[in-house]
Amino acid sequence: MNSQQRQDTTLKDYTVSSARMEFDKFIVPTVTLFILALLFFFMLFPLWMILKLSFFKGGVLALDNFTLSHFKQYFTTAYTLRSLWHSLYISGFTTLIVTVLIFFFAYALTRTTIANKTFFKNIIMMPLVAPSIVQALALIYLFGRNGLITSHFFETDWNIYGATGIIVSEVLYCLPHAFVILFTTLSAVDIRLDEAAESLGASPFKVFTKITLPSAKYGIISAAALTFNLTITDFGNPVVIGGNYSVLATEIYAQVTNLYRFDLGATISIILLIPSLGAFMLNYYISRKSFSMISGAARPFIPPTRPLKKFLYSSFCYTVALSIILIFATVIIGSFVKTWPYDWSLTLEHYKFPSIGGYSALWTSLWISLIVGVVGSFVTLVAAYAMETRRPYLKQIVYFFSVMPAAIPGLVMGLGYILAFNKPYYWFYGTPWIVVINIVICNFTLGILSSITNLKNIDPSIEEASISLGGDTLSTFFKIIFPLSRVAFIQNFTYFFMRSMTTISAVIFLVSATVHLAAIEIIMLDNDGWTASANAMCTCIIAIVFVMLGLLHLFNKRVGNDAQNTSLINP
Amino acid sequence: MKRISTFFILTLAALSCLAGPIMAKETVVVYTSLENEEVVEYIKQAKEELPDLDIQAIRLSTGELGARILAEKNNPQADCVWGWAVTNLEEFVPRKMIKPYKPAGWDKIPAHFKDPGGNWTAIDLYAAAFVINTKTIEKKKLPTPKGWKDLLNPAYKDKLIMPNPASSGTGFLQVASLLEMFDPDYKSKPVEENNAWDFLKKLDANMGQYIKSGSKPAKLTAAGEYAIGCSFAYVYSSLKKKGFPVAMVLPEEGAGFELEANALLEGARHEAAAKKFLDWAISKSAMNGYAKFKLGVTYPGIPGPADMPALDTIKLAPMDFPWQSKNRSKILEVWSNLFLH
Repeated sequence: MNSQQRQDTTLKDYTVSSARMEFDKFIVPTVTLFILALLFFFMLFPLWMILKLSFFKGGVLALDNFTLSHFKQYFTTAYTLRSLWHSLYISGFTTLIVTVLIFFFAYALTRTTIANKTFFKNIIMMPLVAPSIVQALALIYLFGRNGLITSHFFETDWNIYGATGIIVSEVLYCLPHAFVILFTTLSAVDIRLDEAAESLGASPFKVFTKITLPSAKYGIISAAALTFNLTITDFGNPVVIGGNYSVLATEIYAQVTNLYRFDLGATISIILLIPSLGAFMLNYYISRKSFSMISGAARPFIPPTRPLKKFLYSSFCYTVALSIILIFATVIIGSFVKTWPYDWSLTLEHYKFPSIGGYSALWTSLWISLIVGVVGSFVTLVAAYAMETRRPYLKQIVYFFSVMPAAIPGLVMGLGYILAFNKPYYWFYGTPWIVVINIVICNFTLGILSSITNLKNIDPSIEEASISLGGDTLSTFFKIIFPLSRVAFIQNFTYFFMRSMTTISAVIFLVSATVHLAAIEIIMLDNDGWTASANAMCTCIIAIVFVMLGLLHLFNKRVGNDAQNTSLINP
Repeated sequence: MKRISTFFILTLAALSCLAGPIMAKETVVVYTSLENEEVVEYIKQAKEELPDLDIQAIRLSTGELGARILAEKNNPQADCVWGWAVTNLEEFVPRKMIKPYKPAGWDKIPAHFKDPGGNWTAIDLYAAAFVINTKTIEKKKLPTPKGWKDLLNPAYKDKLIMPNPASSGTGFLQVASLLEMFDPDYKSKPVEENNAWDFLKKLDANMGQYIKSGSKPAKLTAAGEYAIGCSFAYVYSSLKKKGFPVAMVLPEEGAGFELEANALLEGARHEAAAKKFLDWAISKSAMNGYAKFKLGVTYPGIPGPADMPALDTIKLAPMDFPWQSKNRSKILEVWSNLFLH
């Protein structure tokens, strides 16, 4: 009797779970198709509109409308064509400088025994917390025509406006991005090779050129490609410090807003897309290869560095770190003094923003960023899980389109959004939602990459256990994967939040009378000549991001401890 | 897991905040290119005097505003424009993007400050002016210029700054005034053959920078970055009040000027509210507000700011708005080809 009952229950259980299994089969394909639809609609569709407008008269798709006249006009007009050479020159130079600087910086932190490594690591990441305009604002205060250093210490007429200014600001802006790559590369390469070469009698120079450099070559190329991409697509720094020196990104904006030439703006977008896609593809190709270089036998021990070498590397690292600190200090101090550099008395008057947005822009930015953080990290985690699951569906295609947003300049995406979604039936146009969607899509790449890395770190046997115990995909995700991904989730949240607070180029076309964003207010304040107030707005953004980082750090520490206690995550 | 759910609750809270409290007020969406500093004051006043309107405004530069409404042509987001250059506004009338509307009190505005068909009604006039940093002039022993021609003095090399006419309305009115003043036959010949281009080429040799905004030349000059900024009159008084070492010169050849006007947009979603706003925007009380900043307002009998010369004492350039408007793109094209590098 008793056993009969038991049998009934198991049978019943079995039938239920089989129905659930049926349902389960559809989950991964459904989720995958949803993610694909999302990317097609919010990434490829706007791009398609741009492509259409640049190749077809009036953007109307018809055979006899096809035209190359926009491209012809671009390449035959001297002042528009210049922006292409300027962009290539600036990006080339910046890439060279950043790669060399960061290589030695990362080398110092991974291969020498200099002191204060944590300090250096933290400082080099600082540019991430501010809009890519902070460098230009600070450089103008320091090296502008009336700069503290140029005009008051040296009393020279030389100033930093133009190409020099853009290059210096871009270098300072790209440092953290390149650093992450090269630091990882140099930490991962087996240092014993160097030691072996040295003990075999190779000179330090020979070890460096024959062993160290070649072993890090993929990291170097990858960092260079990323820097090139970041520089050529940046809008904030060139628009502030470029003066009359136009680059592709600023030329797109100028054509659209000054001359109402949306068609030429679209054409220049396509021209900008080519080098940035190229750099991205190179990076994509390299980063796949470089995994093979990472040796499992790599070990962290570093032999003591010779005193002279240690001193040189130390001073080099301090120089880089102090430059970054100087930038931030200038902007923050500049927002509190009455009239830089004449009157140093402290004041809060620059914090009374003379603009319509004002403080409401900061609040809007904050709320939007919180939503972007949650939505972005959740969607990328789900997408990553759908790709990494046992039975993935269309994995390669999803992967390709998920990493593609990194190659699309923000300004191009923004222009595409206007062209694509400015229709009465897209209710979200003109609301904060279009901004949320735009920022999530623009930053999809890094979110998805870190989610994938994180999922790979979760021991597959846990998932297997869950499934063999009758868990379906949904419950495995919510009960196993999601809790185990908390740390990564928080990391992704931080990333999306920071990007959303600081992004300029993607949303400059999307702010509206109802949605004012703080980062755009900086551009507008600076544009009107309220440089001190622009600095003040910058300072507010930096402060908000820092507070959020602090909160998340505390939170992360507790979650991190929990995760370690359960010790389910592979080392 | 619990903390994660806290996260989601927070997000939901954030979402509801975005949706905003349900407003009983009528919304009106306004695009303006009045200077940020002044528009903040006007909006404060408007909100007091129009308590039943929820005024949503964005300030864009003259060019940005045009691009914005053009992009939104098929799905207009704005209901009206407020204080936008007439030269640009005129371009949009034939595109059927302006809806004629004669606001209450329209009859009080003199005929030369409004479109006879009611497409636009001007609220003020602003004029080009040179803002000079007296400290820099003294330190570098430079003469004080009287007009445009004096700016060709080689001593000013790289110490001048003017707005880029493509992005700034002020820059455009300066260039347009020169084209009309330095070539009496401007109407009968193609834009590119205008005699004023030679003058502008010579001026280019001295020009430190062409900058995006019209007020920035004055502000950068005040900050000591340049000696002379070609800008407009009212920025000067605002800088002077802040204690910067500045002086103003109105070009002796004649000061170029521009009207700033309001218009109702075709396809406005909140037309009734927009009309209420436009009525207010040419009322005497609003005009009194503008007069605290502007060189001259169009409502008769309201004097400009005390620290600026009275409008009738200023020699104004003969501005030909219909010609400017018709040739705007061509002028900008010729200018860009000559001076952008």
